[in-house]
Amino acid sequence: MKTMKTPVRTSALALLGALLLAPAARGIPPHPDKLTYPKFTYQPPSPKEYRTVLKSGPVAYVAEDRELPLVSISVTLRGGTYLDPAGKEGLAELAGYLLARGGTATKTAEQLEERLAFLAAQLNSSYGTDRGSVSLNLLAKDLDEGLAILREVLTEPRFQDDKLKLRKDQLLTEMKSRNDDTADIERRERGFLAFGESYYQNRYTTKASLEGITRDDLVAFHRKWVDPRNVVVAASGDFGKGISRTQMIAKLDALFAKWPHRGEAAPPVPKPAHAMAPGLYLVDKDVNQGRVSVMLPALQRNDPDYFAALVMNDILGGGGFTSRITNRVRSDEGLAYSAGSALPGGVWFPGTFRASFQSKVRTCAYATQIVLEEMKKIREADVTDEELQTAKSSFVDTLSQEFTTKGQTMGVFLDEEFTGRFAQEPEYWRNYAAKIEKVTKADVKRVAQRLLATDKVAVLAVGKKDDLLNPDPKHPVKFPDLTGGKMTDVPLRDPMTMRPMTAAAAK
Amino acid sequence: MTIRRHVLVVAAAAALLLGGPAAAQEVKGKEHVLPNGMKLLLVHRPDEPSVSAGWVAKVGSVNERVGITGISHLFEHMMFKGTTTIGSKDPKRDLEIIAEQEKLRDGMRAEESKMRAAWRRGEVDDITKPESRTARYKELDAKFDALVKEQRDLLVKNEFDRIYTKNGASGMNAFTSNDMTAYFVTVPKNKLELWFWMESDRLKDPVFREFYAERDVVYEERRLSVESTPTGKLDEAFDSIFWHSTPYTWPVIGYPSDVANITKAQADDYFATYYAPNNLTAVLVGDFDEAEALRLASEYFGRIPRGKVAPPEVITLPTKWQYDLLFEGEADTNPTARLRWHTVPFQHKDSYALEVLAELLNDRTGRLYKAMVLPADAVATQASASHNPMGAPGKYAGSFAIDAEAKEGRTPAEVAAKVLAEIERLKTTPVPADELQKVKNNLAAFSFRRLSSNFFILLQLMVNEAYGDWREMNAGPKKLDAVTAADVQRVAQTYLVKDNQATALITRKAGSAPSAEDAALADVPEGMRPMIKQSLERVGAETDAAKLKASLEKMEAQSAQVPPEMKKGFDLVVAKAKERLAELETAGKK
Repeated sequence: MKTMKTPVRTSALALLGALLLAPAARGIPPHPDKLTYPKFTYQPPSPKEYRTVLKSGPVAYVAEDRELPLVSISVTLRGGTYLDPAGKEGLAELAGYLLARGGTATKTAEQLEERLAFLAAQLNSSYGTDRGSVSLNLLAKDLDEGLAILREVLTEPRFQDDKLKLRKDQLLTEMKSRNDDTADIERRERGFLAFGESYYQNRYTTKASLEGITRDDLVAFHRKWVDPRNVVVAASGDFGKGISRTQMIAKLDALFAKWPHRGEAAPPVPKPAHAMAPGLYLVDKDVNQGRVSVMLPALQRNDPDYFAALVMNDILGGGGFTSRITNRVRSDEGLAYSAGSALPGGVWFPGTFRASFQSKVRTCAYATQIVLEEMKKIREADVTDEELQTAKSSFVDTLSQEFTTKGQTMGVFLDEEFTGRFAQEPEYWRNYAAKIEKVTKADVKRVAQRLLATDKVAVLAVGKKDDLLNPDPKHPVKFPDLTGGKMTDVPLRDPMTMRPMTAAAAK
Repeated sequence: MTIRRHVLVVAAAAALLLGGPAAAQEVKGKEHVLPNGMKLLLVHRPDEPSVSAGWVAKVGSVNERVGITGISHLFEHMMFKGTTTIGSKDPKRDLEIIAEQEKLRDGMRAEESKMRAAWRRGEVDDITKPESRTARYKELDAKFDALVKEQRDLLVKNEFDRIYTKNGASGMNAFTSNDMTAYFVTVPKNKLELWFWMESDRLKDPVFREFYAERDVVYEERRLSVESTPTGKLDEAFDSIFWHSTPYTWPVIGYPSDVANITKAQADDYFATYYAPNNLTAVLVGDFDEAEALRLASEYFGRIPRGKVAPPEVITLPTKWQYDLLFEGEADTNPTARLRWHTVPFQHKDSYALEVLAELLNDRTGRLYKAMVLPADAVATQASASHNPMGAPGKYAGSFAIDAEAKEGRTPAEVAAKVLAEIERLKTTPVPADELQKVKNNLAAFSFRRLSSNFFILLQLMVNEAYGDWREMNAGPKKLDAVTAADVQRVAQTYLVKDNQATALITRKAGSAPSAEDAALADVPEGMRPMIKQSLERVGAETDAAKLKASLEKMEAQSAQVPPEMKKGFDLVVAKAKERLAELETAGKK
């Protein structure tokens, strides 16, 4: 193909330079597969270059990066909502939020907020299901003041009464919205189906549990769990004029030295003891688009099949437009805007496989049938060479995207340390590409057979029940037939107590 | 070849001295224009071995008209369907099938016209229901499906995505807003030529195959993002009323009936006008050689001819209001107030003071939070303000927005009144110097924070360029820093006024009671409700199990004497007391 070559208007000189220096134009190849590229292999960074053990106890990951005059410090804490005593659900969440929002020994909450705002500093704290976090991002020149504030927040939070009341009011208002959005309803019920009513992740904050939480509870929670022995810390950015990485490490050491309380090491995250019961589960909510999840128990990320499972899921539904479920449900049939599958390798216990989509209520059953067909297909027949290669590239050749900034890199390594993988395999990320490349077509089929038992799926659908069971005549699929006739009505839950409501009350 | 490095440079360290002149960090972009009018913007950042690349078409829903609303967004979807080279094993037969499909669709459109007539006469209640289709429509639909099946066998399914993915590209996506349509992806640094190949190919020879399945996908996107969300339909209506008389009045995703009837001819015409190179800007951010990038741009994008007609200017301006518009609606949501004022578009000299004004109101130390959320007699649980946020209308007209959620027991009207009282204070009293400085410090810090990743820099450059000029990314922070207390007062007095204002008061939909208790309370005779509600609250707050047990026993003993009209309320209190007792006993056990 003949190519047109005309100098660009604003930069004729630069172009001239390009023409002189660049190799002779090869012309545009007819297909991109014919393009050739300079060789380039990406080597991920090693955590060892950044890791240090502070004298005061915590492991720290520290990286200098002077591109922007900002510094970030992230303190991650063992513990989480699984520590909430029965009847005090919401304690970890409240304590986590109020560490940074409830004042400190020397500053009222108002003084703290005003000072941080004037410095344009971002200080946030929280406790989630399996970890707590206190993070600070501010201008390099304010680092010492920021560290002093962080120390107070970690060691001497004030938990001001009026801020506790305000937060409770805000959480109560949030609770009232629990049944407003079908996405929230689906997320919750998925959790109940996967892990059972009594698993800690399904013990929700209720009006009663929230009202029962006192300032003394927050103080006790803090003294017990916010302790250097539960901490992993990361710092990145510009540490200030003339401040070296070594000096920054000394500052972090001081942050955790001479701790004024004696806390406890957080116990491990509890494992669920619940087996998902197969069947169709319907939540009746009057919306014109249904949300469907097809679920199965999956695996833990240290499972020998984990990498094969990653590749298999990418081909089945994890790889977006190059995956089979997206191609059939979205591109072929136009049944959904988003359709795909996820197979997260659980950190502490096996995760849940989930294929999901949202479709107009009367085509939900048909789309579910397609999803199940694709699950069967990948169990029965080998994937193609091209599918396998595309899936592998999508993991291997995008690896640099996990490490685009020093801050992101420190976050990845902090997580490796926190979840214990660093101790098992320090160079996990440098070994990653080779493990993906090793996966064969036979491996893909084998893990599909192990994990995708289509006769044992639990299918959750949220939408207008009458329409879910009244398929579009063009595709007359009977929803309960897909799960061997097993069908269960799942009532909405009272948002303030989280107990299932009777049909009359839910109306 | 020498590699010239253009690292982002801190333009002025003075920004670090708070209180001093805060000049922000700049993006060192190099701009070039190809002979066909396509603009190319290069930002070299070598720290990470990839390139975030994108191009933005200066077209969005604002360029549409009633009848083809949603076409910009539908186009965004169709641009991933391939070209004469990509996406089909037999491009010739593929194009023939598309032509045959169009013919069938003409017939189906004629049937749809009959279905609409039947709907106007009241013979069918909803033409989108499968049951409303005419016999002829079903017949044509079956033929159409057969053609789709034939075409499917020729497809190389989603080849466009597949090529990028197998070459290690990531984050490929696109978005459409009122004012722009942008396409972007991140490629490994050695694969930049692939980007030029793929993007120039789809601009040169796109084939809009699988058009009708994709239209259904867009319907599902509409259901997902608007129709099945708690406030989607209501917000769409409020926005529409606020922007009436302008082309911002219809939603970006389009009216459902319009999307269904866009024809191939309309689509071709639209593409020729708005996707011509003279209406596009390409942006590269990352690790690449500049001279090489220019050579590739010239070779690949240079082969696309300039458009025959220049894209027309949008000329419809908002009409000057002379009234205060009030909108009331119900939704499955907590009670909320939304206030909107017509203001000014991108780069208007008053837009900077309006942005500072929004930040004065925002956040936990902002005026809204202090006046509405923190006091003992608070009316709201959260409140926020913004002026022309990224992605909202902003090229031809602007708006100032405040949203606040009412606290339990407060009404949206009370919330709106409190907002207006705060606005009034800004009009009458100049903002103190330290408060203004706090806001400027945060805006200056943001001018650094926004520069941490290639992708986010790319996104901001495309957005600024589509609104008018990418250089605003560098010029804007200085203008924000120059805003004075008098400017803030003046823009509040000028724009945040009654005859320029629209207010939405949103209440929880009747019957979507948030709890079983509220639902049960609705059965209690109205006059008794306050009393019963009070009793329920008292019982719910009781912390002494023994005391509660005693009163429960007393109530149960009286139960027979309760008059029939009081029975429902009485039972409710007894049930609540039992429930609370159970809770207290469980908590006591732990």
